[in-house]
Amino acid sequence: MIDLGAFYRDEWARCVAVLTRVLGDLDLAEDAVQDAFTIAHERWPTSGAPDRPTAWIIATARNRAIDRLRRESTFRRKAELLARLEHGEVAPTGVSALTDDRLALVFTCCHPALAFEGQVALTLRAVAGLQTAEIARAFLVSEQTLAQRLVRAKRKLRETGIPFRVPSEPVLPERLPGVLRVIYLVFNEGYAATSGGTAIRHELCREATRLAKLLCVLMPDEPEPFGLLALLLLTDSRRDARLDPAGEIVLLADQDTRRWDRVAIDEGLRQLDRARRLAGDTPGGYTLQAEIAAGHAGHRSPAEVAAAYEELDRIEPSPIVRMNRAVSIALAGDVAEGLVMLDAVTGLDGYHYYAGARADLLRRLGRREEARAAYVEALATVGNDAERRFYRRRLAELTD
Amino acid sequence: MKYALLVYGDQSAWAALDAAEAARLRAESMPGWNAVFEELGTVDPSWDGRELAPASEAKVVRVRDGNQIVTDGPFADTKEQIGGLFITELADLDEAIRIAALIPSAARGTIEIRPLVEH
Repeated sequence: MIDLGAFYRDEWARCVAVLTRVLGDLDLAEDAVQDAFTIAHERWPTSGAPDRPTAWIIATARNRAIDRLRRESTFRRKAELLARLEHGEVAPTGVSALTDDRLALVFTCCHPALAFEGQVALTLRAVAGLQTAEIARAFLVSEQTLAQRLVRAKRKLRETGIPFRVPSEPVLPERLPGVLRVIYLVFNEGYAATSGGTAIRHELCREATRLAKLLCVLMPDEPEPFGLLALLLLTDSRRDARLDPAGEIVLLADQDTRRWDRVAIDEGLRQLDRARRLAGDTPGGYTLQAEIAAGHAGHRSPAEVAAAYEELDRIEPSPIVRMNRAVSIALAGDVAEGLVMLDAVTGLDGYHYYAGARADLLRRLGRREEARAAYVEALATVGNDAERRFYRRRLAELTD
Repeated sequence: MKYALLVYGDQSAWAALDAAEAARLRAESMPGWNAVFEELGTVDPSWDGRELAPASEAKVVRVRDGNQIVTDGPFADTKEQIGGLFITELADLDEAIRIAALIPSAARGTIEIRPLVEH
């Protein structure tokens, strides 16, 4: 018997994409495909699944779209869409040829003319197949708010003529980062140890990883999707080790490495290799962040991590990157140089990680008095209990 | 889909230029404008585009409680004023963005893309 849950996850985007291409209307396509899956859910457990289940879903969704359109009140739209359905090729025999439809769907949902939160909601709904209620729970907003967000985004798709296709070559490089950013945000929402149900947050991380994989399959020559996928896999590999039984954050240095997910690390390293090969001498931001994550997982030397930060600071300069770069140089052996660089970073006053990093380097250099003052400063702004305990411990050691 | 491409620029900056400098800048941007006209001619032979007289020539009309009030424009205290517009039928928003980016004013001012509502 077919696993309906897995089938839904694997085939949802493909079916929505095909119907959207034919209809030119994402909203209607989504409703029709949802109808078709509902029918499958009712029938298949007793009657058995058809031989070509995806083609069945697409054909059924097409018929449901026609039914829905017949009930539609706006005549103009109805006539236009019905004409498209009658003339459009809906279910070609080879399914593999349809991959580009999914890619078009991703780019449509992440179009820069849409509000960013609309892009995220639309991608999770139309591409990942999450229900409105699930997305609302994950983002801690009411279902009504989330539904409104989707309605607004879909209205904009229709009314501004946002195309359903992969951007042409000259525009593609500027559009791809927007897509990657949506996926990265979905992952971070799931990964951040803030409130919200744990299960739904795991689900977000899984969906983000699946979306990144899909992008890699669909754009096998672009390095950054592989870099992003590697970053997500390597980061997620520490999921089980980063929280203690009470749900508190465990710092990287204190984590039980036996609880790291070796399979995810290996796959992350493989995808990172691929990203590096494709990128040549010019790795992008996600690939460099994946290098750093590989270092955290113990698969890059401190010097390699420092080099990745240096490169990252060159292409995406920010005080946070400069701070981390300084720390990585200290960890690679040159503590004095790291401190000089850290002191040169501006714009991070009141950021406890900055004071904490300074404290650590001063401690390593034996400048106890200044280190103590920096730990006190870090403690004044820290918001997380595990980190507060860590700073207190260090401070106590220095006060002995 | 039909779009209006509204061309905004800082007209006071233009007005502040001496005549020779303004003429030179206009001549300099002509190949860019010709490229836009040519491109629009290819994708939509029925396109229309107009340059507007400066905002200092504008009149603003309001009718309140049956009284007609006519004042000088521009009425909003913004740095950029609308200086021209195109009306054109294009495949989609990406096409409109591509054309808008070709308009020389995009390099100094702003091009606003507004889909036309079709009834």
